[in-house]
Amino acid sequence: MSWSSLSLGRRLLWVVLLGTLLLGISLVLGLCLGSTPAGWRRNLAALLGLSGPHDVLATIIWRIRWPRAVLAGLVGATLSLGGLVFQALLRNPLADPYILGVSGGSAVGAIAGLLAGLAPFPGVALLAFMGSMGTLMLVLVITASEPGARKNSLLLAGVMVNAFCSAVIIFLVSITQDARLHNMLHWLMGDLSIAAPGQTTLLICLLIPCFLAILALARPLNLLLMGAETASYLGLNVALTSRILLVVTSLMVSVAVCQSGLVGFVGLVVPHLFRLRLGPDHRLLIPACVLGGGSYLIMCDVVSRVLPSQGEMPVGVITAMVGAPLFVLLLMRSR
Amino acid sequence: MKFFRDMRILAIIGVLGLVAGWLPGSAWAQVHVDQSGRRVDVPASPQRLVTLAASLTEMVFALGAGNRICGVERFSDYPPAARDLPKVGSYISPDLEKIVALRPDLCLAIKDGNPRYVVDRLQSLGIPVYVVDPHKVTGVIATLKEIGRLLNVEGRAGKLAAALTHRYQRIKGLAAQAVRRPRVFFQIGISPIVSAGSHTFIDELITTAGGLNLAAGKVPYPRFSQEQILALQPELIIITSMARGGGFEQVKAGWESWQTLPAARHHRIFLVDSDIMDRPSPRLLDGLELLFRLIHPELAGELSGKLP
Amino acid sequence: MPAAVSAKHLQVSYNGQPVLRDLCLEVPAGAFFIIIGPNSSGKTTLLRALAGAVQPQQGHVEIWGKPISHFAPKSLARLVAVVPQRVATDIPFTVQEVVLMGRSPHLGLMGLEQPRDLELAMEAMTVTRVNHLARRPLMQLSGGELQRVIIARALCQQPRLLLLDEPTAALDPAHQVSIMDLMAQLRAERGLTVVMVSHDLNLAAMYGQQLLLMQEGKSMHSGPPAEVLTYEKLEQVYGCAMLVDENPLGRVPRVTLVPKRFLGPPLG
Repeated sequence: MSWSSLSLGRRLLWVVLLGTLLLGISLVLGLCLGSTPAGWRRNLAALLGLSGPHDVLATIIWRIRWPRAVLAGLVGATLSLGGLVFQALLRNPLADPYILGVSGGSAVGAIAGLLAGLAPFPGVALLAFMGSMGTLMLVLVITASEPGARKNSLLLAGVMVNAFCSAVIIFLVSITQDARLHNMLHWLMGDLSIAAPGQTTLLICLLIPCFLAILALARPLNLLLMGAETASYLGLNVALTSRILLVVTSLMVSVAVCQSGLVGFVGLVVPHLFRLRLGPDHRLLIPACVLGGGSYLIMCDVVSRVLPSQGEMPVGVITAMVGAPLFVLLLMRSR
Repeated sequence: MKFFRDMRILAIIGVLGLVAGWLPGSAWAQVHVDQSGRRVDVPASPQRLVTLAASLTEMVFALGAGNRICGVERFSDYPPAARDLPKVGSYISPDLEKIVALRPDLCLAIKDGNPRYVVDRLQSLGIPVYVVDPHKVTGVIATLKEIGRLLNVEGRAGKLAAALTHRYQRIKGLAAQAVRRPRVFFQIGISPIVSAGSHTFIDELITTAGGLNLAAGKVPYPRFSQEQILALQPELIIITSMARGGGFEQVKAGWESWQTLPAARHHRIFLVDSDIMDRPSPRLLDGLELLFRLIHPELAGELSGKLP
Repeated sequence: MPAAVSAKHLQVSYNGQPVLRDLCLEVPAGAFFIIIGPNSSGKTTLLRALAGAVQPQQGHVEIWGKPISHFAPKSLARLVAVVPQRVATDIPFTVQEVVLMGRSPHLGLMGLEQPRDLELAMEAMTVTRVNHLARRPLMQLSGGELQRVIIARALCQQPRLLLLDEPTAALDPAHQVSIMDLMAQLRAERGLTVVMVSHDLNLAAMYGQQLLLMQEGKSMHSGPPAEVLTYEKLEQVYGCAMLVDENPLGRVPRVTLVPKRFLGPPLG
């Protein structure tokens, strides 16, 4: 009650403050936790660069954990934001960032790249990106001829293209027998372990403009929630806005997915979690999803790293295992 | 002799270091070209090794340098002493941070298994990675010698290589006496049924032991249906298993029920340990000898008499 | 002075089925204009065409003399506000948030609402008497409350032309009268032009200055209520018997439906 009595500006300030705090905490956790245990004193020294140039912990923190945490943060933010936008755009609470076939297309591309023996970056990433752009074009072409009922035909075309792609994926997986199979399965479950510093810089340059573009469209997204016709009565160019949102969102999701593989569930859970708490206003939800979604995936990645397993656990396993119960819990408490 | 050579290298490096004004660890290194064609700076006598494949762990132990290993790939289970060493994850996605934390001065990797980007990433973190790519038994023996040179245990490597070569040649000689080559189906997967084609270690072992690999062909690990195998009429079926659990026994019993199979009629369906058949390690020779006994029991008498 | 809104020979069809046929209309600025007609006579489609939400196959709509297709969506929304028949209530926006959406055409892309916008929203909610509901989620409102919230949102757009699609349907008489009075008041006080689709012939007779009687997508009759609401015209269009007399409240027609049992001697 007291929350909703705050002005929007105040609420926005709180969301950004708490979100940044959460992101900061998860980044510190992401830097300090891993398979190499170290006391907080040594971690602090290494974090602040006081441990000398040849300290192994400093190398681990800044050259292995840092790019990985940044990649996790960016991918988490992108997927959450992507889910948020698609849920509003298609007015469907089950929409996820992969809904328009981005996942299927990029998986086909990535697997083709792995089969060709390319490196994860830039080879596989580039093919994955091309794959998702290809399916996106296909979906847009399929739906362009149908001016009415666009929402449903988009969903349907996305589902069809995804189904076709997963058949292709299973075909490719089943004709592969060697070590590349393991690589493919890792990619399909989401894999952040190969983050390298150069990759993350490129991602930042590509993704931050997309985040800003979507933030600029926060109010139009609110209007779209009221239905396309109402939105147009309120002065929104619905066709243009939807198209921009579709393309920008799919673009950023493909950029993220081609680096991380298919991390599931983030785009579904995070936006709903914040909606339960913050209400439907996108001017609050967009910053919340970027900051909170980033933190969420960083935390999940930390869990996947410190879980006592022999080798890496795909982060997609953790996002689903943590996300689903968390979501159900919050849903029950909000009733 | 060896002592003097080491001293000479030390002296040269020392002088170079003084001239250049620095003497960091890397100045100890020699440049080697590994089997994937990469140039690697390997320290003169590496003391902290990480082996990124079980076969490499076995090789280093066989060379008597097991005490220098500080981390192994997770499936490294032989010799038993390897099981107690710190694990650094799987060969496909090793735990980079654990490797860095172990501060190795050399990582050994294998081209068929460890992805190239893992090798590059480790190299970029300042850890020299030497990649081997053994094919055929002779390649394994040559690789052993090469690793021996890297680890400065050439003497021991030479002796080991000679012993292995001798065992290999003996089987080859015995197999040449066989009048015919029995038809062998080698099963490495239960569902689907998978076998090993040409250019695999398994194919080489079967052929060298005087058998005919029914799965020979371009596909490295081809799949088969049950009816294809019935049609192929194998005289031997060899099933590999990691752990001899009920699953493999059931497969064996399943084949034994097909009386149209020559292998079933003559009770020549066997379970063998996969580790000695497909790991490019010195134990391949154990695998070869075992296969020879199974394929040509009539000639095996001579072998057992001369076992070292 | 040009008409607030005029339609010239509108032709609209859905899937080859004509919905509007060669329809012309002209609403003078400041008028209270009510569109009546039987079900599926094309009233709602006409209203949507006037709002620019339907592209006619032929003919065009002009707003203050300027073809509607020449307007940018935003500048059109600053001139014309629409109260649709149905609105989405499944999204838990609060009343105040929904009313503030009416400020959209006046705001930049990202900007938050300024105090002035909040003032206007409060004022609109006061005028429509929903200010006590400001923090309530939309989905908890009754039909009458919801209708007034949507009207408040439309007022927040500060339009010169207000288009309403059956705003009094499904409301009890008190709410019907309060909404109609509100429209009359806004028209009188602010010079707002009001165009409304209605099923209620008596409300149309009492509040409308100009009526348009539609049938099968065509304009049958238009003019002041006394001219349009005659029993011949109504019976011809609606196909049922109606009694038209003078309303005791003043010189406007009163329409009474005539049940079958009053029409003649019962058979048998």
